[in-house]
Order: sequence, then C-alpha cells, then structure tokens
Amino acid sequence: MTKNKTRIIIAALLVVAALAAIVLGVMNLPNRTNATGAQIIDTLRIRTLLDATGAGVVDSYVAIAKKEATAAAKAAGGGMAAIREAVAKAEEETRAKYSGTQTDYSTLDTTALTAAVADYAALLAEHDAVAVAAENAYIAENMAAAEAAAKAEREAKIAAGEEVGEETEVTVDMSGFVATEEMTAAKAKADAQYEAVGAALQGIYPVLDASALNTLKGTIESIVYTRGDTFTAQYDRYVAAGSEEALDNKGAAFVVRYADDLIYVGAALLIAALVVLFSELLVRKLGIPRVIIGLFFILLCFMCLLYDLSLPTLLSNAVVRMGMNSIMVLAMVPGIQCGISLNLGLPIGLVCGLIGGLVTIEMELPGVWGFLFAIAFGSALAAAAGWLYAQLLNRLKGEEMGVTTYVGFSIVSLMCIAWLVLPFKSLKLRWPLGTGLRNTIGLDSSNFSHILDDFLSFKIGSFDVPTGLLLFMALCCFAVWLFSRSKTGVAMQAVGNNPRFAEATGINVDKMRIIGTVLSTVLGAIGILVYSQSYGFMQLYTAPRQMGFIAASAILIGGASTTRCKISHVIIGTFLFQGVLTLGMPVANVLVPGSTISETLRILISNGIILYALTKSGGASRG
Amino acid sequence: MAAEYILEMRDITKRYGENTVLSGVSLKIRPGEIHALLGENGAGKSTLMNVLFGMPVIHATGGFDGEVLVDGQATHIASPHDAMNKGIGMVHQEFMLLPGFSITENIKLNREITRPNFVSRMLGKSMETLDMGAMSHDARSALDSVGMSIDEYTRVAGLPVGYMQFVEIAREIDKSGVKLLVFDEPTAVLTESEATQLISVMKEIASKGIAIIFITHRLDEVMAAADSITILRDGKLAATRAIAETSIVDLAELMIGRKGEGVVSVKSRPVPQGKTAMKVRDLVVDMPGEEVNGVSFDVVEGEILGIGGLAGQGKIGIPNGVMSLYPVEGSVELFGEPLKLGSAGDALRSGIAMVSEDRKGVGLLLDQSIEDNIVFNAMQIKGEYLVKFGPFTNKNDREIRAIAEKMIKDLDIRCFGPTQHAGTLSGGNQQKVCIARALAMNPKFLFVSEPTRGIDIGAKSLVLETLVKLNREHGMTIVMVSSELQELRSICDRIAIVSEGKLIDILAPNASDADFGLAMSGIKPSEHAQKGADEA
Repeated sequence: MTKNKTRIIIAALLVVAALAAIVLGVMNLPNRTNATGAQIIDTLRIRTLLDATGAGVVDSYVAIAKKEATAAAKAAGGGMAAIREAVAKAEEETRAKYSGTQTDYSTLDTTALTAAVADYAALLAEHDAVAVAAENAYIAENMAAAEAAAKAEREAKIAAGEEVGEETEVTVDMSGFVATEEMTAAKAKADAQYEAVGAALQGIYPVLDASALNTLKGTIESIVYTRGDTFTAQYDRYVAAGSEEALDNKGAAFVVRYADDLIYVGAALLIAALVVLFSELLVRKLGIPRVIIGLFFILLCFMCLLYDLSLPTLLSNAVVRMGMNSIMVLAMVPGIQCGISLNLGLPIGLVCGLIGGLVTIEMELPGVWGFLFAIAFGSALAAAAGWLYAQLLNRLKGEEMGVTTYVGFSIVSLMCIAWLVLPFKSLKLRWPLGTGLRNTIGLDSSNFSHILDDFLSFKIGSFDVPTGLLLFMALCCFAVWLFSRSKTGVAMQAVGNNPRFAEATGINVDKMRIIGTVLSTVLGAIGILVYSQSYGFMQLYTAPRQMGFIAASAILIGGASTTRCKISHVIIGTFLFQGVLTLGMPVANVLVPGSTISETLRILISNGIILYALTKSGGASRG
Repeated sequence: MAAEYILEMRDITKRYGENTVLSGVSLKIRPGEIHALLGENGAGKSTLMNVLFGMPVIHATGGFDGEVLVDGQATHIASPHDAMNKGIGMVHQEFMLLPGFSITENIKLNREITRPNFVSRMLGKSMETLDMGAMSHDARSALDSVGMSIDEYTRVAGLPVGYMQFVEIAREIDKSGVKLLVFDEPTAVLTESEATQLISVMKEIASKGIAIIFITHRLDEVMAAADSITILRDGKLAATRAIAETSIVDLAELMIGRKGEGVVSVKSRPVPQGKTAMKVRDLVVDMPGEEVNGVSFDVVEGEILGIGGLAGQGKIGIPNGVMSLYPVEGSVELFGEPLKLGSAGDALRSGIAMVSEDRKGVGLLLDQSIEDNIVFNAMQIKGEYLVKFGPFTNKNDREIRAIAEKMIKDLDIRCFGPTQHAGTLSGGNQQKVCIARALAMNPKFLFVSEPTRGIDIGAKSLVLETLVKLNREHGMTIVMVSSELQELRSICDRIAIVSEGKLIDILAPNASDADFGLAMSGIKPSEHAQKGADEA
C-alpha cells in the first residue's frame, strides 16, 4: 500500500515538473521569432561586435603609441637597442592602459550602431539567399554528370579488381561556379551598408580608421551573419564569444534559447511519470528486459533531440537496419519452436546464402533475377546443410546451446579456408593478386545492391522509407506465421514445447526437429542476402561469426524465451536492438567527443546488449 | 540390563502446513525384535522413518511433536549422521553403493581403517594410508554374518541385485554399536529364494540383539519374519499386534480399512454384460518404476474397469503400455480388431484416448492456450479443425473456438477464456483440459490414469462425476487407474488389483477390505481362503 502511495507521489511530482517544463517551453518558444527574441539577439550581437572591434581599437592605439615612441627615441638620438626598448615599453603601457580599463559599455550610445547593424544583417541574409539559390541551380545542373562520373570510377575500380570503400554521397565540384550578377548586386548593397556600420563604429571608437575597419570587415561579417543562422545558432555563437554579460535578464534569454529542450525534457518526464505509475503492469506485461531496453531507447531519442542530432535520419537508419537484420532474427523462430532453442549455428545458413550471392556475381546475373537466383541457390544449399546439422542436433539432444555455438564457430573457421580455395574466377570476387576471395565484396548496380531498399522507396522529410525491404520483411514474417499455424507447424511447436507430449501423440519428434532446423538455416541464408543487398557488401571470412549472437539477442530482447517465441518478438526485438545501436553511437560520440571511442563504444554497446539479453532468456510473461 | 525398549516413539505428530500426515503415532521396539511396519502408500511410514532419522525435510518444515527415546533416554536426533552415531542404521531401497569400488571399499566407505604415515604426520589425518588388510578382515566377517560367501575384493559393478542388497546390509552390520536397523522394502527387488535368504539373515541379525524395523507390503513375509507388527492407516496408528495373535486376513483388513464416505455416490448397477471392448493378453511393459510382467484381462463394453494396487507395482504401466508410450510386448484386441503395439499414433487412431497420470510431463502443452491443447490430438491424428488449401493447412480458428467453449462449459473448466495458457490453470482444471482433449477425439475407449492425483477434493468429485457421466450417457468404456482404492470402489463396476507387475485378481467394488488388502500384497483372496481351508 505504502509502496503504491510512494509511487503515486513520485509520479505526481514528475508530472508537475514535466508540466512546468512544457508550459515554460511552449510560452518561450514563440519569443525566438518575435520582438523579445530580436532584442536578445540585438543586444548580444552589439556586445560581440563591440568586443571584437574593441580589440581592433586597442591595436590601433598600440600602433599609434609605437610610432610615437619610435619617433621620440630617434629624436633622442638612441641606437637600435634603445628604439626597440622604447617601442616595447610603449606597447606594454598602451595595451595595459586600454585593455586593463575595460570599456564601460553602459555609457556608450549604440542606437545608431544597432540600426546600422540590423540593416547590414538583413542585407547579408539577402545576399546569402541569392547565393544559395544560385549555387543550388549550379549543383542541379551538374549533379547528373558528377554522379555518372563517380559511378564510372567505382565500377572501373571494381572491374580492375581494386578495393572500393563504402558508397559515399556524390558531391559536385564547385570550382567552376561563378558569382551571378544578382549576387554581385546584393553584395554591393551589403558592402555599402558596411560603410554605415563603420561610420557608427567610428562614432563610438573615434580611433578606428578606414584601414582598421577594412581589417575588421571579415570578423564583423561573420559575427553579424552566418549561413543558416537561426535564433539558437546566433545565441550560441554570441554566448561562446562571451557576450552573455550584455543581457539584462540572462535567465529569461536562457529559457528562450532552450525552450525546445524544455519541451523535450517535459515530455521525457511525462513518460517517466507514466512508467513509474504503471511500472508493475509494464514489467508484468513486457518483462523487465524489454522495459529497460525500451526505456533506454526512448532516452536515446530524447538525447538526440537535446543534442540537436537529426532524429528522423537516425530513426530512418534504425528502420533500415531493422529490415536488413530482421530475416536473420526470424530464423531464430523455427529453431525455438522445434525445440533446438536459440539456433546459434546460424552461420551455417549465412555461409550458404553468401555462396548463393557469390555464384550470382560469378555468373553475372543482374538485378531482381540475380537476387532471386541467389536466394534460391543459397536456400537449396542451406536446406542440405541444415538437414545434416539437424542430424547432429538430434543425436545430441539436451546439449543444443553448446552444440549450436560450437557448430557456428567451427563453420565460420572452416569457411575461412574454403573462401581461399573456392574456384571463383570473377575479378569482382577475387583478390587482384594471389588466390582466394576478398574480405568484403562490393555490390553494385550490376548485382543486387539495394535491390529491396530502393524498391518503391520514398522520403518523408529526412525519413527514408525502404518500402521494398519492409515489404519483404513483412512477407517473410507472414510466411513463418502461416507455417506456425499449419498442421506441421502446430506439431513442431508441440515438439519444442514438450517433446514427451508430442511423442505421446504419435508425432515423430526427430522429423519435426529436422524441419525446424532446416527452416531456420534456410531463413539464415535468405537473411544474409537481404542484409548484404542493403549494406552494399558481402562480408566473408570471420564476419558471420557474431551474427548468430546478434540475432539471438534481438529475439530475446523482443520478449522470446529459449523455448517460446512469437513473430512480434522478432519485430520488436530487432527494432529495439538496432535502434539502440544506431542511436547510441552518435549520442555517445557527442557525450565523449573523440574519434577513436566510437568503434569501442559500438562493440561495447552491441556486446553489452547481447550479454544482457542472454542473462534474461526467461522472456516475457505468458499472455 | 538396559531399558526394556531399544526405541520408543511416543505420540509422534507431524504437520506439513495445514496437512497432518502423522497424528499421535507410537512405536515400541525391543532389542532383538523384528518389528514390521505396515501401511498403504501415504499411510505415514516414510514420514515416521524421516522423523526417526532426523531428516532435514522434517526440521525444515517445523519439526514434529512427540518424543523419541533411545535406550529409554529421551533423545534429539538432529541428522541422519547423528542417527548413525546413536546406533540406528538404514538399509535403503535404492542401493547406495559406488559401482566402481570393491565390496570392502563400499562397506568401509567413510569409516576406513587407516595407518599414519610420513605425509600424514605433516598434512593431517586425511593423508593417512588405508589399512586394506584390516578393512578386508572386517568386511569378511560382516559378509559372513549375512551368509555371503562372495570374495570381498569383488567390484560392486556387475553384481546381481540380490548381492547388492546383502552388501548394503553387511555395511550396516559392520558399523560398530548398531542397535537398530531399518529395512525399507528390502525384498521388493529380490527373487523368491533371495527373499527367503534375506529373512533368515534378518532373523540371525536379530538373534544378536539388534532390533529390526521391517517395512514391507508383503503380508506373507511379515507373517514369516516379524515378531510384532505396527499398522499405520491415514497417518494414524491402526493397530499394534504380536504375531501370535493375528492372521494375514486380519492384517489386510487393518491395512485397508474403511476410509470415511465415498468421494462421489453413484447408484450401483449390475456389471454390464456384453461384447468385449478390449482383450489384453500377456502384456509386458518396460516402464521404469512401473514394470508390467505379463498381464491379461478383458474389458467389457460399457463398463468402468478400475485398476488398483500400491505404487510402483505396475498398474500405471498398463495404460502406458497399451498406448505404446513405453516399450511393450503382448497382444491387445480392440473391439475384435488387433491393435498394433509400438506406435502411439496407431493407438490413438484406432479410437483409444488416454488421460495421462503425468499431467505436466506428457499431458499438457503448458505454454499453449487451452483451446490449442484441447484440439491438438484431433488435429494431428484425425486432421480435424484445419482448413486445407492443397498441400497447405491452416488452423480453423472458428471451429477450434467453438469446441473449446463447449468443453469449457460441459466440463466446467474454470478459466478466463479459451486463450488462457494451460500452465496458469489449477491442477483440477488442467486435468479437465486433458479430459477435454481426449474427448475431442470422440474416443470409443478411454484410459484414465490417476485422474485425481494432486488436485483438491472439490475438483476430484467433479472429475469423477464427469467420468461417470461419460460412461452412463455416452456409453463410453472407461479403464481408470488409481492409487485411491476408495475412489475406484465408488465409481467402478469391477476392480483389478495389480501387484509386482501381475494381475492378482478382479474384485467387485463391494468386496471386503481384507480381500483388497490381500490382493494388494500379492495374495489372491480366493486362493488364500482355499489355503486356509486346507490348513484347517
């Protein structure tokens, strides 16, 4: 009872905090674009400007003092040493005089300057808009040619048997771009306005001369306007320059700057309150592992928002990765259902699929038919290998976890030899020198690269929808679901659930286990082909070793146990696993800046999830 | 002279939670006496022995009330090891011997005779050398005292079972200061001649002044060996008798007794006379712990045949054998058609259904829904409840739901709905799901094995009433196997009693307690009466 009460109190407090944050955020968000925001930015901008020009002013004074000191020393008839000493002394004194006694900004009249700068900013923005339009037009004009060139280069490399990297975005070479007349006109206008700004500055710092103003032009321009300026970008720029002091009400400005983040925090707190309130129900319905991983995923989403990372892009990546991994995770389902537990011997299926893909490239079968051939060939091979594998498992009942793991590892090692000796001839597959197949084989348009991903794909904002991939995933899930409802499927599940029960009903336990193992292996073969087409590469040698564990962890996170699973576990689990992985890395990179940490973190996160999933193999509660 | 009784247990009462398993049981044993302890399964024999040996299970569940006196001294026995130190030994039913060790090593295990040596002086007693000579000598004399001439260096592995039993006994005798030995069903695994030898060994041990508690269900052995007898029934002391003042019939009657009212009351009717539904001949079933060694009987169409007997005597092996769940030999005819033994699928296809005694083991798919459990057999064996498209099949959800809801209503299965998982149901309701699955096959013949095991009293009567209803209203022939004689007597038309894998007799439900008691201990009542008449 008291436990319940505490929970309600905590939830209530969280809700209050959440509402406060949201209300504050929503009230302050419009201020960015109205007069309040403009005033904050103006104040900050003028202070930054004055600070920057102030530094120039000091330099001007120093230059004057140096000149005077030199003249005085010469007049006094001193030697070179005396002149040098006098100059150094004068510089020191002047610098101390002007920078030590800070300009008292409150006494300065900045009205004229403010007006001039505002106009200048507007004109700069105008010029920039014109420039962006012109550049985009140029890019659009030249894009096709650049893409064709990149592709040709890549394919030439592949044909010549050289290593190619992951496909990068094609960029248009901007060296041929010439400013348009419109741009020049806008630039002239802005430059004219700079004269006005300069005049206003001279009104404040009379010592500034034309040459000093000329030197300062670049600095001032970048302070006043940078491409893509928004309220937050400007605020951050000025605050980084140390102009926060200029604000009368720092707190209010801060709230306006972080209004969106306040709303995110509020939403996060609301979710936290809901979780606290319904924690028991959630844990009972989903099981602790799914709740924890789910919350971790939501936390990552909010952190992406807070650190201004592009959440739609990241989520889109997560969806693609879910699609490319889903079939391999689905391969766990028949295994669990027929009683061989988690099929950690999945690499058997994977290498069969890879061989199917290799044969397709060797035979130069293009496009969809090539992909279908790869699937058919790989599946046939996988069915045969799966049957042998099932014979082994049927002779070692009760030891499945160990046997599947060892079989998975051994097949990968065995294939490491096989990849070196298999008689493939295509230059796309072989090392340019010596014998054997390459480590990673780049797929291109003449094979089945992105054949599913690009089918009917479309964009919502920056969210790419890989329609074909998702359709294929849905199709496979549906097929497995249908099978699980057939007479054989029902019998197979009974074998997994309770072999003695199945035996008592006259079901051939060994046969059902063979069916389940073969299905699992075949799905593994299809899975690796789907993965490869999306990734753009086929990875040989040790790459398939970890994939069985990744698939097993994904389905465990989804809520399956080692004896029971559903299709929903596959989809939820794959999304959570891949989602946490895709979102976790950029967030980790922001939290711990530094380039080398990201790979370490990737391994830490993925193996951490695997380990966690395996410790929680009990699964979600019974419905 | 020491106290009159070497062991005295006074008013022993033991409760497991609410459940009283022993109430006010007393036991007195004189030195050199063979005292038989009799009782059906669950009468309290094992619990009483657990109390005597101070087993952890007793202490862990709140101890017991009453007193234990050894040599007239009130004693607290803390653990089996403590019991051994106080001179109480046990000859186990399952042999506790190390097969790879020689007989001597087994007899002296953990009581080895050792000599100090150089290493042990530095590293302590556990490093001392074994004195094999002295140990063999002790083992030899212990073996001689049980009348075994076998070489003491022989390995235990490969010895005949009877020999292992004697090695166990020799080990107990070899312990110095042993005053009381408990023999737990020692003759169960022995041949007749070995059993006779064992009894003579027991008498010899007793003549040396060691008292023996002899636990058995074989009444003739009791009569042959024991000096006095204590009979337990339902956790209470039924009687204590001296051998001179009792008879086998008296003991049988005391052992069975009338246990209150029947669980359900069924109008009695004449035993159905009609066609033979099932004809079983020379059935041999290799079911571990429940072996059947050649049983023949007929089941009449429309009757409820009960199969009773003590645990481990083979009654459960009969349905499991007919259903081919274990290796089986013999011949079975169903409604005149021979039944192919050796395939569970064939048995089911021929129209026999079975409700297994092992509900959680082979009876249910605990992780699947009630409806999937109910239709499973009908779907797999008969191909019902499926929609077919060419070679493809799919579950017919509508039909499945309809039959499941009908069964839930008819059998009164208490659940949230047909999609609830079978594993979350109570024992009684799980049993009803098992029955529903058997019924979904529309069987002509139903085996029900221990239908009321582990379920509460209310559910028990519901299950039994359901069986009677099926029999009376649908004319289903039922063979029910149960350890609860009272249950069999309340609903069966005839009751077959099985002992040691053999069918002893088929009795009417209203036969006397003595007849049931005799049959359960392996003596055919009519033959016994005949023998009695002959002797007279």
